[in-house]
Amino acid sequence: MKDRMDGSRGQISLSAGVPTGRLAPVRRARGAIFVAAYLVLTYGIAQSSLNLQALALVAAVFSILAISLDLVAGMLGLYSLGQGGFFAIGAYLTTIVAAQYEVSVFWLLPAVLVVTGVSGALIGAMSLRVSGLYFAITTFVFTLVLTVLATDLSITGGLQGLLGPAFPDFPDSLAPLGTPVAWCVMLALLVAIALVWNIRRSPFYPVLLAIRDAEPFAEAAGVRTAVIKVGVFGLSAAMAGAAGWLFSFLGVVSPGQFDWAVSLNILVMVLVGGINTTLGPIVGAMFVTMFPAVVNIDPWLQEILYGALSIFAITMFPEGVVGLAKRRLAALLKPMARETAAAETPMAAPQVARTVEADGAPIVECRGIEFGYGVGPKVLRNVDLVVRRGHIHGLIGPNGSGKSTLANIIAGRLRPQAGNVLIKGVPVTGQAPSERARLGMRRTFQAAQLVRELPTSRNVMVGLYNGVPRIVRRAPVWPLLPSGHRDAASMLARAEQALRAVGAGNWVDARVGDVPHGIEQLTQLASVRVAGPEIIVLDEPATGLSMSEVDHLARLLGQLKAQGVTMIIIEHQTRFLFPLCDQVTVLNAGEVILTSTAEAVRADPTVRQIYLGEG
Amino acid sequence: MSEAPALQVSSLFAGYGRFDVVRDIGFRVEQGEAVGLLGPNGAGKTTVLRAIMGLVKHRRGTIRVGDADVSALPPHRIARGLAAIAPEGRRLFLDQSVEDNLMLGAFHLRRDRNRVQELLESVYALFPVLRNYRTRRSSFLSGGEQQMVAIGRMLMSDPEILLLDEPSEALSPVAVDNVVRALIELRRRGASLLLVEQRVDVAIRLCDRLYIMTHGEIVDEMNPETVRQEGLGIINKYLG
Amino acid sequence: MLQFVLSGLAIGAIYGLMGMALAISFYVTRVINFAQGQMMMVAIMIVSALTAADISPWLSVLIGLVCACVVAVLSYVLAVRPILAFDRFSFGWLVSTLGFAVVVENAAAYVWGPTSRAFPPILNDISVPIGDSVLTAQQLLAIGAAIVLTAAFELIRKRTLFGKLGMAIAADPEMASAIGANTTAVAIVAFALSGLFAGVAGVLIGPSTFANPYLGDTFGTYGFIAMMIGGGTEKPAAAMFGGLLLGVLAEGANATINSQASDWFPFLVLVVILIVSPRGLFSSGSALLRLRPARLAPGRPVAG
Repeated sequence: MKDRMDGSRGQISLSAGVPTGRLAPVRRARGAIFVAAYLVLTYGIAQSSLNLQALALVAAVFSILAISLDLVAGMLGLYSLGQGGFFAIGAYLTTIVAAQYEVSVFWLLPAVLVVTGVSGALIGAMSLRVSGLYFAITTFVFTLVLTVLATDLSITGGLQGLLGPAFPDFPDSLAPLGTPVAWCVMLALLVAIALVWNIRRSPFYPVLLAIRDAEPFAEAAGVRTAVIKVGVFGLSAAMAGAAGWLFSFLGVVSPGQFDWAVSLNILVMVLVGGINTTLGPIVGAMFVTMFPAVVNIDPWLQEILYGALSIFAITMFPEGVVGLAKRRLAALLKPMARETAAAETPMAAPQVARTVEADGAPIVECRGIEFGYGVGPKVLRNVDLVVRRGHIHGLIGPNGSGKSTLANIIAGRLRPQAGNVLIKGVPVTGQAPSERARLGMRRTFQAAQLVRELPTSRNVMVGLYNGVPRIVRRAPVWPLLPSGHRDAASMLARAEQALRAVGAGNWVDARVGDVPHGIEQLTQLASVRVAGPEIIVLDEPATGLSMSEVDHLARLLGQLKAQGVTMIIIEHQTRFLFPLCDQVTVLNAGEVILTSTAEAVRADPTVRQIYLGEG
Repeated sequence: MSEAPALQVSSLFAGYGRFDVVRDIGFRVEQGEAVGLLGPNGAGKTTVLRAIMGLVKHRRGTIRVGDADVSALPPHRIARGLAAIAPEGRRLFLDQSVEDNLMLGAFHLRRDRNRVQELLESVYALFPVLRNYRTRRSSFLSGGEQQMVAIGRMLMSDPEILLLDEPSEALSPVAVDNVVRALIELRRRGASLLLVEQRVDVAIRLCDRLYIMTHGEIVDEMNPETVRQEGLGIINKYLG
Repeated sequence: MLQFVLSGLAIGAIYGLMGMALAISFYVTRVINFAQGQMMMVAIMIVSALTAADISPWLSVLIGLVCACVVAVLSYVLAVRPILAFDRFSFGWLVSTLGFAVVVENAAAYVWGPTSRAFPPILNDISVPIGDSVLTAQQLLAIGAAIVLTAAFELIRKRTLFGKLGMAIAADPEMASAIGANTTAVAIVAFALSGLFAGVAGVLIGPSTFANPYLGDTFGTYGFIAMMIGGGTEKPAAAMFGGLLLGVLAEGANATINSQASDWFPFLVLVVILIVSPRGLFSSGSALLRLRPARLAPGRPVAG
């Protein structure tokens, strides 16, 4: 399915404007320099005084915690106050088991990762039930409960806590490296940094942001958002657990170090440092942990200063220190403002031999759909609809007639109270939109659902999610894999090609938040088209488009039809819609008034009265 | 009574982000006039109303209601006797009663009890059915009845100009008729109206003048009489 | 058994007042004020300091309550409003209200030292026998004050025009401003009210806890639990029911399990209730729909 429509597959080359190939050696050099500098820093820490080490290592552990929180809060938008809890599980599990049994601490790490990962997944599953603030509250309670357990159970040593295990010494050959625990902590931090760095530079990143900002879009593109949320949450919890494992080697493990204030402070680190940046959490962690040491005044005055600074930082720099720096830097380096070019004439899409004929068989069917919102009259009553393969089927009706609801039911976003939806003869009622994507259905939204902070090309890449294997699995190590580079380059090329094909080629690098409305709609269309779907549901695609943009859209849809794509279009603008349609269904007050050809609908007196406002 | 127009908009640019949604909008509504703003979905008509009401963050240009310059005023100041809006979707305070919604509309007049009572009585005279529903929770009303409350809430602030955003939306033909008749009565009493509508037939019945908006700009001005004579086709060329 | 029910109601009254304080500021701004506990603490510290300087207890109480209100309004102006002005849906207030709490708590510790100070007994030294059990007059006062304040709040909220305006702002702040509500002014009043409730809670519990700058966190947490149990995020008065229930259950656990149980029992109750009814016992529909980050629905309206 994925390549039948998109004739570009045979035409990918690095000259199609993809810089990745040529810059790769530069990137690798930069990476190597960073790692080398980091190792030197680690060596320095491992050799320094105990006090300095303690300071640096605590900052490093909290950096890992902050990075783990940024993974879910920054990339997925799930604000969690539970990192303290997973941190506690990691530290206490390590300490207790190491004390009770003669186990090497290194075997405890996988155990910690599994336990915290699984509990993280369970907590993450709660985000599917409650959202936003309530989810944050749930995670907050989780940390509270764990703190109370840690305080009151004797096995955890109560308020005094327990003394953490000792980290094994280096073998004599490595002894000149310095304190082993410093190396362990710093290397773990490096792994954490590498993990998020890689995810940020993989095609998985636009998918994560899409789940955060435009979840319906991600679902409609075939992304199993629930699974990903739970999985990433589990990963973040495992990282926090690993931080706990590391922390246990640094001294005493007591409840006060993991309580809700700590969870909150980790969020402070992320927000003040810069959410959804790689360096931000580290900067924030350093600020919070090192502040008392650096500002060495009366302890109360110091806390007052800390509190005042955090208020100042968050009210003045809502995107965090690193976020602000990035924005300023980007503005400095930005190329001159491009002229607002009109949409280009789309290239004639190469004719691809259809393997399935537009044979007029029913491809989407609705039988007896009923839908209502509880109190009040039903929105849809006994709606039947048959859409034939290769047709463009229009759906019109006054505002409030239920057309958008019907479109959402066909696309899977809403579940009818009665009746069935069939796609290619397969009943799909009740299945998630991501499942319909697997059957070859895509959709666009009336108010474009896109990630505003990413360029159009990255948004379009989300549409390719289903087509490229093992995106999620490879994401943590993506830039290191040759297949990663290849696939990313190919996805980007296809995305840019799709944008050019719809006439938005001038905007491939522009952030969606910066483009005009018409280009947003074209980006949506490109993200749908790039996947080579068999069926597209379009929800008022001509909304807000200029006359010439509407004509352009009509040409694009005509091209799609020539390739055998079936389309269901909800629209108000009949001048645009009628010439395209093979069949038109008219809805009014939740019922189907008429289904016929465009001419018949236009001539029908009932339709003219209720919809066109005449007679 | 001032001779200034009820509403005067010049060189209005407004938007929600980097690009303006409406550009260089200019028009006026004289005292006692009803002006219609027609156009397809996405043309920016709602944005114009919201900008007048102060609800759009990025706006520049001049907006005057009567003698007052409201271009830089926050919405709660504009709502105190200058302009009032019956927004799309009505947006009543659904967990409160009909009369509560109405009384809230007159919040800025609350110290003048007599005047508030007068206003309340005039709203009930206009919409007699609401009198029976005074204490009913507004979420239990039908769409048409909710629209009546929305219009009533507007009237309770005794504004100089009434802003209505698609009052006929999602209403049955009977409800639309009721609303139109009420608005005609309001006009008879001298009210000034700015009406955004998708339904051309509604706009023709009510308005003295029509502006057509597409893609964020006003592209034409029309006389409803012309539209009646030449037929709807003349406007439909804009609406598709 | 009557004993622990009554003492439970008395301590529950305090939790409920704190819960309502949180709920009132939440109602109008959709922000959970992490500095709420500190307002209670400020009232306690001021009363303690003034009575130590030989000012009459009742005058000290009055001044203490006023100070709590002032701190509450300051928390809005400095830590909440700037965040909401930037983006109504961001979570930055988690940081700023926490920062504010840190500042107030440590300022108190700096001025008055970290150790507990004396607090005037007020009515704590009068014992009132009720059936088989005994309550102090202070405890009775607590229950009475809680009932009176809750009833007064609900009366104002539902029967006065100002209260209805508050309800309108809670339901649809943009539309409320479009009918003339100055949301900033109403928010200031709401926060002052939350300071009052927290201050009263402080004055009522002061004789039992003595005056200590670190009280804010503990009671702030209990207030939060009370609010979540009762469903105070939708309806502030429900937080009082949550508090009373919490108090009775905690005292009951104390009496029937062991005297440490009241440490962890509240959390168990909270967890159970959140699993059963995530928004609290007296909640209904979808008050939190507005809290979803606005990125899903860009501010640009569709039609028009």
